[in-house]
Amino acid sequence: MTQSAISAEDLCKRYGKKIALADFRVDIPRGTVTAILGPNGAGKSTFMRMITGMVRPDRGTVTVLGRKPSWKTNASIAYLPDRARWFGGHTVRQAVEWGSKLLPGFQTDRAWELIDMLGLGADQEVAGMSKGQEARLMLAVCLARDVPLLVLDEPFSGIDMLSREKIVAALIDSFSERSQTVLISTHEIAETESLFDYAVFFAEGRNALSGDVEELRARRGSVQDIYRQLYG
Amino acid sequence: MNEIRIGGLRFSLDLSQPLYEQVLEQVRSSIAKGEIALGEKIPSVREMAQALKINPNTVMRAYQELERERLTETRRGQGTFITTDAARVQEIRNKLAEQAVEQFLAKMESLGFGLKDIESMIRAKGGVSQ
Repeated sequence: MTQSAISAEDLCKRYGKKIALADFRVDIPRGTVTAILGPNGAGKSTFMRMITGMVRPDRGTVTVLGRKPSWKTNASIAYLPDRARWFGGHTVRQAVEWGSKLLPGFQTDRAWELIDMLGLGADQEVAGMSKGQEARLMLAVCLARDVPLLVLDEPFSGIDMLSREKIVAALIDSFSERSQTVLISTHEIAETESLFDYAVFFAEGRNALSGDVEELRARRGSVQDIYRQLYG
Repeated sequence: MNEIRIGGLRFSLDLSQPLYEQVLEQVRSSIAKGEIALGEKIPSVREMAQALKINPNTVMRAYQELERERLTETRRGQGTFITTDAARVQEIRNKLAEQAVEQFLAKMESLGFGLKDIESMIRAKGGVSQ
């Protein structure tokens, strides 16, 4: 394959007695939409946090866009953390203004296009939003950034079906628009597996399987089938 | 599997098989069956990706292969169109027919039928007139 966007070598991380990552290795190719899969507690969020330098490995190295994670590389990453919330006091318009002032690569026109596509309005207040609406707003802010790497930690979790469908449509639109490397962790495999061209299956802090999704389909069946084979 | 229709094309995708091949085969077969007319415009990569809810890279790969097979042509600034070359479409129809016959023969052979049996069975069905 081509150059890797992210490569991890022998990553280890413990929280007290709990092992989050154990000799984790992976090479995620540039320009792919990559699924980060596995049961809760398999190490997915820890790995995603390491990419942005929020968590440091106890051992091993991770290389992001050819560099070590730092505030410098973070300017090239749009990251949506799990359990994220937006500022309750903001309206959608204020969120866009905030993004255009503070987020590297933020494209205001693109943000409005996405907000429109995601069914939100400029004057809506974040405090009055449903979980699905707030998730859509945060996704719009992430996708509006023209940066080489997008990291979305569970953008679909706990969100209603219509919001999920809107998010999927916005993602596809975004993938057509620009060539970014995109990492998405999700448990909603059935609905999203057709979006991915690369997948990494985490199991107990290790890389249980990773590869090109079309090749995996030819060899072992759907991503859903493989998930059942690995964890069932 | 749900059938998805978009711009004269029909798709039903099976997630346990490579999607690129399915998109390619299903467009090819829509052309061969005449479900989509010669010279007709096909949806853009983005539209197709949205309709099928798949990665645009997958659509792009299938479109590139269709173009390589001269079943479609891209006109700068206008989009992608089904070929206007009827002879090329006929070639593809013949090829698909050949494949169908091969599959049928292989299946009959696996059931233990020879060419003679097959011939008489087809005649009995009224499928071949002499």
